[in-house]
Amino acid sequence: MPETLKFHFTPVDEARAEEKNVHEKASTNVADTVEVLQGQFPGAIAKVSVYAGEYTAFVKRESLLQVCTALKETLGFTYLVDLAGVDRFCEDAPRYEVYYAIVNLDTGKRLRLKVLVDEEDAVVPSLTGLFKAADWNERECYDMLGIRFEGHPDLRRMYMPEDFAYHPQRKEFPLLGIPGSLPLPPRVPEGELTMDPFAAARSGSPAKSYQEPKGEDA
Amino acid sequence: MNSTTGYLTTTVDAVVNWARSNSLMPMPMGLACCAIEMMAFGGPKYDVGRFGSEAMRFSPRQADLMIIAGWCSYKMSHAIRRVWDQMADPKWCIAMGACASSGGMHRCYGVVQGVDNFMPVDVYIPGCPPRPEAVIHALMDIQEKIRNEYSVTQDYTSGQKEIVELSARPGSLTVEGRKVALDASSLADA
Repeated sequence: MPETLKFHFTPVDEARAEEKNVHEKASTNVADTVEVLQGQFPGAIAKVSVYAGEYTAFVKRESLLQVCTALKETLGFTYLVDLAGVDRFCEDAPRYEVYYAIVNLDTGKRLRLKVLVDEEDAVVPSLTGLFKAADWNERECYDMLGIRFEGHPDLRRMYMPEDFAYHPQRKEFPLLGIPGSLPLPPRVPEGELTMDPFAAARSGSPAKSYQEPKGEDA
Repeated sequence: MNSTTGYLTTTVDAVVNWARSNSLMPMPMGLACCAIEMMAFGGPKYDVGRFGSEAMRFSPRQADLMIIAGWCSYKMSHAIRRVWDQMADPKWCIAMGACASSGGMHRCYGVVQGVDNFMPVDVYIPGCPPRPEAVIHALMDIQEKIRNEYSVTQDYTSGQKEIVELSARPGSLTVEGRKVALDASSLADA
């Protein structure tokens, strides 16, 4: 007899306000930084949420650059660890959000910023002028979700071919893709090859999908 | 037996196939974690030199066995196909691991669901990743295949010409080395 399989739902963990979360760490407690920001830019931070001792500041899109400049230049948050987009796919607009994980290397403090992005107007100011690390992350976010970054020097797709018509991490995109949207080499030996990854070796110009971004000294 | 009077009969095929099968030069197309197992396959413990394939060639011009180790994305498929086209005939191909054979666990939009979607594969190896012994087994299967090949003109058939049965895939080669036509009407003059 096969064993009867059971499905266990994850138990609901009610919020315990007075109890200290065991996962709480001092490095994510940035109450003072958030307070400084709120005082310096009144109205720029729409909401601050705290969970497990982690502070998340919901920054308004139009004041993101101001807030990040202040964070980097006066508050010492010089290291952009991560930047990515999320398709929240929930009823209440806005649909997307972009989060930024920023670290102060001197004090070891971590701060998370979030920008809510509306589906109709999915544009966020680019942070490449402040943090060079934002470059490829913003390209990835644009590739996967279609959020455009205003002021990005080279906003091309990161992973998918440049003529790809969809943004695959949007929730409406089917997991198995859309048949025919990505070209394969021909099935017969004498068929013509459609993409030339080694065009530069024949002094041609490579297909755009294979082009590397220009280096600093180029 | 006196060595001056003894003789040996064989065919050119037997000699050519013996030479080819014992000197396969793999082109390691390492795309993912399977490539690590492929390195063990070439390393001293599993020692593929026992089978004559220790010389991995990173130039397609010098290789005659392509080992596709790892998952292949749609973007990479064009490069793989180009390297395959640059390899000189005769050539063989091993799809190593679940991903190269069928897409494996990468059942998603960006990964080709099996490299046989765009190039011919002789041997598929299951496993995620396969052990080096499995890769050696695949190599031995390729050797077995080569030893049973007819590389020169078949001279043992006579009489009326055989009507070639249409294969499922147009463009593939028949036993006699002809292309399978797209429809039966173009076979009339064959």
